[in-house]
Amino acid sequence: MADSSTPAVQIEGLTKVFRLPLRKEKVVAIDNLSLQVGAGEVYGLIGPNGSGKSTTMKVLLGLISPNAGRASIFGLDSGDTASRGSVGFLPENPYFYKYLTGSETLAFYGKLCGLSRKEIRSRSDELLEMVDLTGARNRRLGGYSKGMLQRIGLAQALVGDPRLVVLDEPTAGVDPSGSRKIRDLVLELKRRGITVILSSHLLEQVQEVCDEVGIIFNGRLVREGKLNDLVAIEDQTEIVLQNATPQLLDGIAGLVEREDCAQLLSCGHPRTTLERLFLQEINEESKTGGQDT
Amino acid sequence: MDSEAYSTELSRQHKAFSPSRVWAIAGNTFTQLVRMKVFYFLLIFSALIIGANLLFLSFTFEQELKILKDVSFGAMSLFASIFAIVGTALLIPKDMEDRTLYTILTKPVPRFEYLLGKLMGILLLIGVSILLMSLLFFTVLYIRQHGILAEKIASLPRHASETDIESFRESIFSRGLQPELLLGVIAVFLKAAVAAGVALFVSTFASSTLFTIIVSLVVYFIGHAQSLALDYYFTQGELHSAGQRFLAGLVGVVFPNFQLFNVTDGLTAGEVIPASLMARLVGLTAFYLTIYSLVSWMVFAKKEL
Repeated sequence: MADSSTPAVQIEGLTKVFRLPLRKEKVVAIDNLSLQVGAGEVYGLIGPNGSGKSTTMKVLLGLISPNAGRASIFGLDSGDTASRGSVGFLPENPYFYKYLTGSETLAFYGKLCGLSRKEIRSRSDELLEMVDLTGARNRRLGGYSKGMLQRIGLAQALVGDPRLVVLDEPTAGVDPSGSRKIRDLVLELKRRGITVILSSHLLEQVQEVCDEVGIIFNGRLVREGKLNDLVAIEDQTEIVLQNATPQLLDGIAGLVEREDCAQLLSCGHPRTTLERLFLQEINEESKTGGQDT
Repeated sequence: MDSEAYSTELSRQHKAFSPSRVWAIAGNTFTQLVRMKVFYFLLIFSALIIGANLLFLSFTFEQELKILKDVSFGAMSLFASIFAIVGTALLIPKDMEDRTLYTILTKPVPRFEYLLGKLMGILLLIGVSILLMSLLFFTVLYIRQHGILAEKIASLPRHASETDIESFRESIFSRGLQPELLLGVIAVFLKAAVAAGVALFVSTFASSTLFTIIVSLVVYFIGHAQSLALDYYFTQGELHSAGQRFLAGLVGVVFPNFQLFNVTDGLTAGEVIPASLMARLVGLTAFYLTIYSLVSWMVFAKKEL
C-alpha cells in the first residue's frame, strides 16, 4: 500500500527480453533497471536509439509486460488499468484519427477518461487555449502540421487531468519554434506540479526543463541524478560581465595570476545558440505576418 | 491530496467495465469509417439494382422480380461482407501502425473494451449500410411491382373484371415487396457480423491490414465450402479414423459455416423460412461472435504493443 511519500514512478529491477521470431536469439531491451521519480519532478530519460527508453516507457504504461521486476505509478502496479487514470502519454511521432477535428479528438479521449460532457467541454476549451490551437479546433487533424499534431497530442495526454505525463520524443520532427512551444508547455506542466517523464535526443532541451536525468545505455541505467549535480564542473567558476573594458579584463587576469591556486582558462564573448538565433529571426519575421506552425 | 489517498481514489473510481467507454470507441470507429466516405458504395449498389431492373425487362414479371431480388440480396451480401472484413481489417492494424492504439490503451481502458468497442462500431456500420441498401432495394421493388401492375392493367381487354385485376395484383405483389424479405436482410446482417468477428480475431495477431484481409477472406471462402466438403466426406464414409473425424469437426467449429446464412436464394424463390431456422442463425451468430471475441481478447490481452 502506498504511503504519503510514494514516488510518482517506481521502477525496480526491470528486465525485458524480446525473442526474435523464428530464431533462438534474444534481445535484452532492459536489463535490471531501477529508477524513481518523485512527485512534481521533471525527469529526463536520455540515451541513444535502441537503448531501451521507449521500452521502459511502454512497461511503465502497461503496453508490454516485463520478464522481471516491477513498475508502479503512484503506488499502483503499472499492469493495473486503474494506474492509467493518473497518466497522460504522448508517443513518438503519433498519428491521431485524421478524420476527427481537434475538439472531437479531445472529446473522444475525454470520454475514455470518464469525463462528463460538461467537463469535456470546459477541459477542451482550457487545453486548446493552452496548446494554442483554439483557432484550429474545428479543423480535421488531417490538415494539421507536425507541430500542431504534437500539441494536440499533448492536449489529449492532459485531458484526463493526469498527475504524471510521459512524453516520448515530444519534439521529434518539429521545427525549432514548435519545439520551443512544447518546451514551454513542459515548463507549464512543471509549474502546475505535474510529474513529467521526458525522453528526447535534444539534450539542450532536456537540460532546460529537467530536474533529474537518467542516462540509459544498452538497457542499463548508467548514470542518474539531479541535473545540476551532474552537469556542474565543481572546480570551475563562470563569471559573465556586461560591457567590460579591456583594462578591467587585464586587471582580473592579473589578479588571477597572482593566486597560486587559481588559473584563468578562457576569456571571450559568450555565444548565443543557433536555436536562439533562429527563434529571434522567426519572431521578427512573424511580427510582419507569419503563420501558425 | 497525498499519494496514498490519490492512488486509493484512483482504484475506487476505476470501473472494470464501462459501457460509456465502449460506446465512445464504437462511436469513434463508426465516425471514422463514415468519414472515409465508405457510403459512396451506395451509388454502385443503386446502379446495380437499377441496371438489373432495366436489363431484364423482356422477361416475365415473375422472372424479372426474382432477378431483381436475387441481384439485390447478392449485392447486399457481398457489400456487407466486404465492409465487415475490410472495415475491421482497417481498424486495429492501422491503430497499431499509427501508434494511436498507445494513446487509447494508456487511458484507463481495458483491452477487451477496446476490442468490444471496435466490433460494435463495425457492426453499427454494417447495420446502417444494410438498412440503407434495404431501403433502396425495397423502394425499387415497390416501384417496379406497381409499374408491372400498371403495364398488366393497360394490356388487359377493356371488359376485364375487377376480379381479374385483383388476381393479377395478388400474383404480382406476392412476388414483390413482402415482409418475409426482412428475414433475408437479417440473415445478410448476421453473416456479415460473423465475418467481422473473424476479421477481428485475425487482426489481433496480424501484422498488417493486407494480411488481415487475405486471411479473413480465406476463412470466409473456406466457411462457404466447408459444409459441402464435410457433407461429402461424411456421407461417403471417407472419414474412417477418430482423428479424421475430430479434424473435420474442428474445421466445422473453427471456420464458421457461412453457407447456412445463405437463406436468400430460397426466399427469392418463394420458399418460407421457418422461424426455427432464423432462431438457429441468431444463435449461431451469437455463438461465433462470443467465441471469436473471447479468443481475440485472449490473444490481444497478451499482445506486446
